[in-house]
This record gives sequence, C-alpha cells and structure tokens, in this order.
Amino acid sequence: MTDDKKKFFDRVKSNEYYMRWGKNAFPYVTAALLLSLFQIVTLAVTGNPWGVSGTFAYWGAWLFEAVGGSVDKWYYFASTGAQATLEKGILNHPESWRNVGIITGALAATLIASGFKIKKIKSMKQVVAAVIGGLMMGYGARLALGCNIGAFYSGISSLALSGWVFAVSLFIGAVIGSKLLVKYFM
Amino acid sequence: MKEVMLDCFGEACPVPLVKAQNKIKELEIGDVLIVQIDHSCAMKNVPEWARKDGYNVEVEEVDDGEWEVIIEKTK
Repeated sequence: MTDDKKKFFDRVKSNEYYMRWGKNAFPYVTAALLLSLFQIVTLAVTGNPWGVSGTFAYWGAWLFEAVGGSVDKWYYFASTGAQATLEKGILNHPESWRNVGIITGALAATLIASGFKIKKIKSMKQVVAAVIGGLMMGYGARLALGCNIGAFYSGISSLALSGWVFAVSLFIGAVIGSKLLVKYFM
Repeated sequence: MKEVMLDCFGEACPVPLVKAQNKIKELEIGDVLIVQIDHSCAMKNVPEWARKDGYNVEVEEVDDGEWEVIIEKTK
C-alpha cells in the first residue's frame, strides 16, 4: 500500500463519524427504534408482518423441486397461499429478498467495522450442538408457525395473544438452554 | 500480582461471559484477567458485567474481529 493510502485509512480509523456510524455498535435503543421502523415498512410494503424462518422452508421446497422432487402433497405446503408462493418462485418472494438483505447487510456491517473473521471450530461438541440445536429450532419454528421473529416479535407487535404465549415458551426454553449450556460447555 | 489469559476464541455468547465470571473468582485482588474474544456481542456483555461489578476494564482490538478485554480485579 502506498503511503498516501495508508495515511488516508489511518485518518478514517480515528474519524469521529466513522467511529460512531461504522465501527462501534449502535446503542440498544437506536437498534430497537430502527427495527420497529423497518418492520412497519415491511408490513406496509409486503402486506405481511416480518418473518425470517418460514422463508427457509420455501428455500428447501424450491431446492427439492429443483432436483426433481415435489412438495404438492406435503401438508405444510398444502394451502393455496403456500402453493401460490411456490408457483411464483424465489425472485418474486419478498421474504427471500429480505433474508438475503439481512445476510449481506450483516456482512457489510462487519466489513465496514473491519471486524470480519472466520472463526475456528473449537471442538466437536460445538458441531454437535449446532447441528442438533439448528434442527430443533428449525423444526420447532415450523410447528409453532413462526420463529422468534415471525411468532414472537411480529406476534406481539400485531397485538396478538399468541405472541405472548410464544414469549412465555421462549423464556422457559431459554432457561433450559442456559442450564444445558453451562453443563456441557463450561 | 499475576496476569491470567482466558482463551475464548471461537466461543459464542454467553460462554465467554460465564467463563470470565468463573475465572475471576479464582483470582486474588490486584490480579489481571485478560479475556480473548472474537464474538462481537461478548465485547459488549463482558465489559458491561465487569464494570458493573466495579472492576477496572479496558478493551483492546488486537486484530480484525479479535479483542482482549482486560479486567483488573480491584476488590
């Protein structure tokens, strides 16, 4: 790197606005306000409340169809709404675009803060816990018709009682999860 | 006065926090605990806990996405 360039980045690194907007994490209140704002935008634009994990079920279905499978007879995709979504395809699915946006946005944020790092897998225990935990969360979210975004966050912000039921269950699950974590990961 | 390194690289929240809380109990007053982390949310909750408990805390960015939280057990 030439000296000029190096000096430029040294200046950016200590710049007050870069520190505030790019480097340091936003305060919780700022993040909460932004989340509230964007979930209103989401509801207004797409007509559906914010959800994340339901999209992964569709991604799975499209993938399965791409290799020649069919989910027409599956109970989960049996409704006309679900069939219409599958018919329209991934490019016409707002939730898919939003999920891609979340992933690329998170990547951009960590790159701007120069905090990107590929983390080492420390033990086999982490792999086992991630696989089992991921499967249980994914399956549970489909049974509950939503994850902590679709069923909890969007449920409560739509003034639905189901959101609060989900919150209580989430809390119980978190307590059990913490106990398991301390038992097996400490 | 001694310095103790706690390697929490590759550990997700809240493991670094609980490990740091357990480790500091074993230390004497005046000792320094250095928690090595690469999970950005630990950069928030580890210093928050340590400051609330009244210890001296400093966070140092050692590399891209790697930090050391330096905690002095003051009491």
